Amino acid sequence: MSTPTAFAPPPGRDPVADALLTSFPPGRLSEIVGPRSSGGSSLLMTVLARTAAGGGLVAMVDVADSLDPASARQAGVDLQRLLWVRCAGRLLAALRAADVLVRCPGFAMVGVDLGPGPGPRVPHAALVRLQRGVESGGGVLILRALQHVAGSTASLVLSVAATRVCWGGTPRPTCLAGLVSDVRIANVRAPDVRGLNVQEQDRPLPPGAAWSISFFSPGWPPASPMTLSRSRVS
Amino acid sequence: VRRVACLLVPRFSAAAIIRMEPALAGQPLVVLGDTAPARLVIEATDSARAQGARPGMTGDELLAEPRTVICRERSLDGEVAAHGALLEVALAHSPRVEDGGPGLAYLDVAGLQGLFGDESQIARRLFGAARAHGLEARVGIAGSRAGALLVARSACDVAAIPPGGEAEALAPAPLALLDLPPETAHRLVRWGVRTVGELAALPSRALFERMGEEGLALQRLARGEDPRPLRPYEPPPAVEEGQEMDGPVETLASVHALLDVLAERIGGALMRRHRAADRLEWTCLLADGAEHAGQVVPVFPTRDPVAIGTLLRAAVDARPPHAPVTGVRVRACPVYVPPGQESFDGPRRPNPRHLAETLARLGALVGAKCLGTPVILDTHRPDAVRLDPFTLPAGLMAPPRRVLAKAGDTRGGGSRPEAGPGPTAEEQPAAHETTLDGGAAPAGPPRPVEVEMKRADEASAMPSVVSGRWSLGLRRLRPPRRAAVTLVGGRPVHLRAEGCAGRIVASAGPWRSSGEWWGEARWARDEWDVELQDGTLCRLVTDGRGWSVEAIYD
Repeated sequence: MSTPTAFAPPPGRDPVADALLTSFPPGRLSEIVGPRSSGGSSLLMTVLARTAAGGGLVAMVDVADSLDPASARQAGVDLQRLLWVRCAGRLLAALRAADVLVRCPGFAMVGVDLGPGPGPRVPHAALVRLQRGVESGGGVLILRALQHVAGSTASLVLSVAATRVCWGGTPRPTCLAGLVSDVRIANVRAPDVRGLNVQEQDRPLPPGAAWSISFFSPGWPPASPMTLSRSRVS
Repeated sequence: VRRVACLLVPRFSAAAIIRMEPALAGQPLVVLGDTAPARLVIEATDSARAQGARPGMTGDELLAEPRTVICRERSLDGEVAAHGALLEVALAHSPRVEDGGPGLAYLDVAGLQGLFGDESQIARRLFGAARAHGLEARVGIAGSRAGALLVARSACDVAAIPPGGEAEALAPAPLALLDLPPETAHRLVRWGVRTVGELAALPSRALFERMGEEGLALQRLARGEDPRPLRPYEPPPAVEEGQEMDGPVETLASVHALLDVLAERIGGALMRRHRAADRLEWTCLLADGAEHAGQVVPVFPTRDPVAIGTLLRAAVDARPPHAPVTGVRVRACPVYVPPGQESFDGPRRPNPRHLAETLARLGALVGAKCLGTPVILDTHRPDAVRLDPFTLPAGLMAPPRRVLAKAGDTRGGGSRPEAGPGPTAEEQPAAHETTLDGGAAPAGPPRPVEVEMKRADEASAMPSVVSGRWSLGLRRLRPPRRAAVTLVGGRPVHLRAEGCAGRIVASAGPWRSSGEWWGEARWARDEWDVELQDGTLCRLVTDGRGWSVEAIYD
């Protein structure tokens, strides 16, 4: 458990972490894999926010209706540019919806959240169809799954794992400060995708490269030690 | 010089049906009225007349002799739509148009030579435009409405009389061209008047003495004199098209085919007006007499017939009629859409047609209510979100303005503090009473603690895409999963819920919030952030009646 002063945003931008936001290959299926509370959904939301900030339309196919719009807004997603497709647990309907979306040239990025729990198996034929669709549409398709489900259809697979949960307050935790996760390039399959392109480096990060990202709970760190004022209404 | 063109659709009832069923063109078609019990023939095409069918015959008389004619009931919806299309054709060529009644339209063509050529070319153009919309019209151009009407009646397809030549050109035409009442026609024939020119040459005084004002009006008509100016026609604000079917149909495929036909006409009408539809209202007429209606709002105003057809089909698929369909009406609300221009460096502008089709398909897949743009409601109640229909942002071509989401909601009581060292329940300081206006609250039963958080620093208020700071988000469980929580010393130490169970190794809370205490939907809750032994970060909620897992940090 860390102290509040030890868990603070970096002073500058992390070029490797920023590269994540723009390095998902267009016209390809990518995958973010990681267990619950690994930060994978936050990573996906930040990528969507970056795309929307560039002026593109983004879509979120939500299998389990688990999207939290407040968190999306906190991550920087322009909600006016976000199409939320709620599928109420219907996996096949979600895959069909994603297939329709990736074939529409208007959407720069389509995220598919397969849900916070282990769901039914994703048919491989549907994944192949998604891969073909995103190739024709030219957008970016990102699957968020607890485990690697896309198989050979994924051109880029990022594995996310939490390494540390940070709480604020001593000696007893009083609020959740954030999460530190390791992001690793688990696999790169497409011949034209060699890894993540980082501007400061001469060559892309190869498969197996990993780096750490800190996800901060909204509002952390506080501006002053006492940012809360409480009142009891009796 | 005044020049008027007349667009005349002969045998209009039959023409309206042929417009709906183009395969009937050239066939012996008989149109029956709906006057019970004896249904009368109200119109017959030339080929049907060649077999002896005449307007005014009863159905029994029509069937008394062997004839190979095709009978159709009169379609009032089809006639309205056909007449609207005729007026649209006129409006597409001239701003001064008069509605002359069913199948008849006048337009002022003076000054159009610079646009469309001489009068014969204008007449040809009008003829072709009407034919493109399924109407075989005759076009006459003369110096007055009456002259143009008579020329149109006498013409085979198009004819134009030079200025001042109306009387001379119409003189040899038979008297039947004036479409006189039978008694008047018989009277003139008894006088030996058989052509239009002979009627025009009669002495006006003597004609007035014998026929009164009617005689003078007929003579002015025969001379092609009509000084009355055109009554301007104002097109209706909405574009409507409708069509009835031969009989009740029970398959959606037939309805789809009809919707495509109507979409084609709607798109054409919108294009002639230089407008696009921002709302489409459809109505299915059912066999049981009821109407099954709905509407669809395209994501971007469109006049593309394919997109309109796709939207309508998807809307009907999403809400299929419960009884056989006997007809369909479609109404489009037009708006003006200024033309846009693509930029070189901006993002790809979505094709409105593709986007509309995509949304229509998605709506059919997951339901229209499960699709849209999330809007966070102006309330402190957690997860208060509604879905609005997805529309293209206004400044799509330009990069959006920076989205400055607040780190913690600072709207006062009820907001959940997102950060900061807060005391636990047993550590809470002595409270003071507050109300919305800052005064003292009336004494009453104990209520939950209101928590208020001051605004965090600017860096934490900026979204991650701006500040380079990555935000930890929530995945909501909808509905929240009921949980059994073990408390030790007021703090949760163990959680058991569906798909989420284990020993709690760290926790923070309770974050108490409440809201809407002034209404029926009052709420109050305690929230805990907990970390399970397997690393899962959850948000637990209790409202005093039980615990539930509301969300998982991910």
